[in-house]
Amino acid sequence: MSQLLQQLIDRGQVIDDWLSPLRAHALEALSNAKWPNRRVESWKYTSLAPLEQLELSPSAKADKAIIDDIEGLNSLDLVFVDGKLQSDISLLPLPKGLHIASLLDPSVKEQSTANALFAKIKPQRHLFGLINDALAEDGLIIDIDAGAKIEQPIRIVNLSSDGQESHHRILVRLGSHASATVIEHGQGNEASLSTGFAEYEIGEQAYLEHYRLAMHTHQAIHIGGCHFSLKQKARLNSTLIAYGSDLSRMDVDIIHNGEHAKAKLNAVYLLGESERFDLHSTIEHVMPNGTTQENARGIVGDKAKAVFNGRIHIHRDAQKTLAELHNRNLLLSRRGQINTKPELEIYADDVLCAHGATVAETEEETLYYLLSRGIPRSKALVMLNFGFIQELVNQMPNQHLAQWLKPQLEARFVEMEVK
Amino acid sequence: MLKIKNLHASVEQKNILTGLNLDIKPGEVHAIMGPNGAGKSTLGFILSGREGYEVSEGKIEFQGEDLLNMAIEERARKGLFLAFQYPVEIPGVSNMAFMKESVNAIREQRGETPLTATEFLKKAKEACTQVQLSLDFLKRGVNEGFSGGEKKRNEIMQMILLEPSLCILDESDSGLDIDALQVVANGVNSQRDGKRSFIIITHYQRLLDYIKPDYVHILASGKVVKTGDASLATDVEKEGYAFLGQDNAEETNA
Repeated sequence: MSQLLQQLIDRGQVIDDWLSPLRAHALEALSNAKWPNRRVESWKYTSLAPLEQLELSPSAKADKAIIDDIEGLNSLDLVFVDGKLQSDISLLPLPKGLHIASLLDPSVKEQSTANALFAKIKPQRHLFGLINDALAEDGLIIDIDAGAKIEQPIRIVNLSSDGQESHHRILVRLGSHASATVIEHGQGNEASLSTGFAEYEIGEQAYLEHYRLAMHTHQAIHIGGCHFSLKQKARLNSTLIAYGSDLSRMDVDIIHNGEHAKAKLNAVYLLGESERFDLHSTIEHVMPNGTTQENARGIVGDKAKAVFNGRIHIHRDAQKTLAELHNRNLLLSRRGQINTKPELEIYADDVLCAHGATVAETEEETLYYLLSRGIPRSKALVMLNFGFIQELVNQMPNQHLAQWLKPQLEARFVEMEVK
Repeated sequence: MLKIKNLHASVEQKNILTGLNLDIKPGEVHAIMGPNGAGKSTLGFILSGREGYEVSEGKIEFQGEDLLNMAIEERARKGLFLAFQYPVEIPGVSNMAFMKESVNAIREQRGETPLTATEFLKKAKEACTQVQLSLDFLKRGVNEGFSGGEKKRNEIMQMILLEPSLCILDESDSGLDIDALQVVANGVNSQRDGKRSFIIITHYQRLLDYIKPDYVHILASGKVVKTGDASLATDVEKEGYAFLGQDNAEETNA
């Protein structure tokens, strides 16, 4: 048992709130858990050492923060600083059918929604998910009535600041035939740890458009997850954009619990310097006739290191499943590293599955051709190497968000390339 | 325009150029002929700045400046253009976007304002028509799925759009049928304006029937062994490179 883990458990044990009964299970699981090292498969390529070296204190009180406006997005903004909600929900003009409550202070009805979701969709196996179960005090419960079409995107921002440790939790339920857009945006660059886990239940024929922007850099350690349960004919379109920090890790689970559900997951990661990013995705096809399309694409420069582990698990009853998973990488430097592993586990016999992973380098001859036409080096590299990333950004259903992201991603790429 | 003095160069420790001299004045057309392995393409690559070539001796002056000190893109922006023997295919990057980027990078160098999308499209269409490529080629990926002849014409189209001061054509005639050869030659001839210079690298005299050179140089074993007027090309066509002697022929085959 590591000292750090023991401290976290001790802290979890003294929390006394309405979630305590739900935390008990996680605390027990944690007390039997081992602190992961390289011999643990799911942490094989990602070291927790940067976390062990941090000196942190649980965040007490944070300042108000002002966040960037995204042109044209017109979102409902909920801002957290170090895991503490700064926005006053009562002041938000919530459209009909949308209910948002703080995890700190829910009504009885909201508590019952939370009870149905908390640690019910997120699988047990994520150690930091359990830590978040035990320690997340603040967060949101978002409940969308059956049939409600929420046009305005819901943007949840969490900013991490120096020396702070924070754990926040998002629980979302979309009733049947409902639709909504949720953007989870995390950001920070100073020495900190944030864990952020979100659980989504997408009701029958409901549609969730989802974004997770994990833009943590430098010493801002972020470990989080997005976990989706899809009921019959539910649809999910999710985009993950990740930078890398000393330690950045994301676990995504998509579970087809109803027939004819459709999931699309696009992930983009851009890492430079000595940044780390680790993406583990698991798609569970439990019921028949489901469709999953997953595309993860990344660029790794300098001494950075990316890990991609994409698993598709097709259960025995999940006949007529269509599942595709592709991972494409571009390695810009000889010192960079990419570990990619697609895993297919199929127990049904009538399914259509495809998977693949590639790692490529810049083609010198092609670059020379562009340069010989006077095109500046940075521009040439963007033209050659950025298209496959832009393709995924262009697929984002929300073009305001895409337009806001594009120049940032491009600038980050150029910076990575120069080094 | 271009002065090459005693150029020695190697690639992977193999000596390719062994004391090459060349002096090209504005408006002149120089043909460089020679057997395979003489160093013709190497000369084109060194002039354009391709990596992997080591210059051990000699110097190159381009418009009074030290060419060897310039980055690849800088040479292009200062007016040097190489039409590739084997243009690369770049799927995913449209020919149009590629050429617009290129034209505007060069305009910027000349202190001109960048062309708008509409202005560029107009010019690109004209150039396309001139080299007899259908306008679809602008939308396609750079050289993606182009035939050999279409790639060569695409190179000439770029040359027309970029308005360089020194054009180097590396075997732009190879693999072309007679119609395509004429298109390439007409493209070049249309750009002869008394100021722009050309280096035409070719194995055969064929192209020179359509583009009349001022000088013909025979390159063998890494240096110019004979210089003459257009008639020298005709002699070579009749008699082959046998006059270079046994030594050179052997080296050529090696």
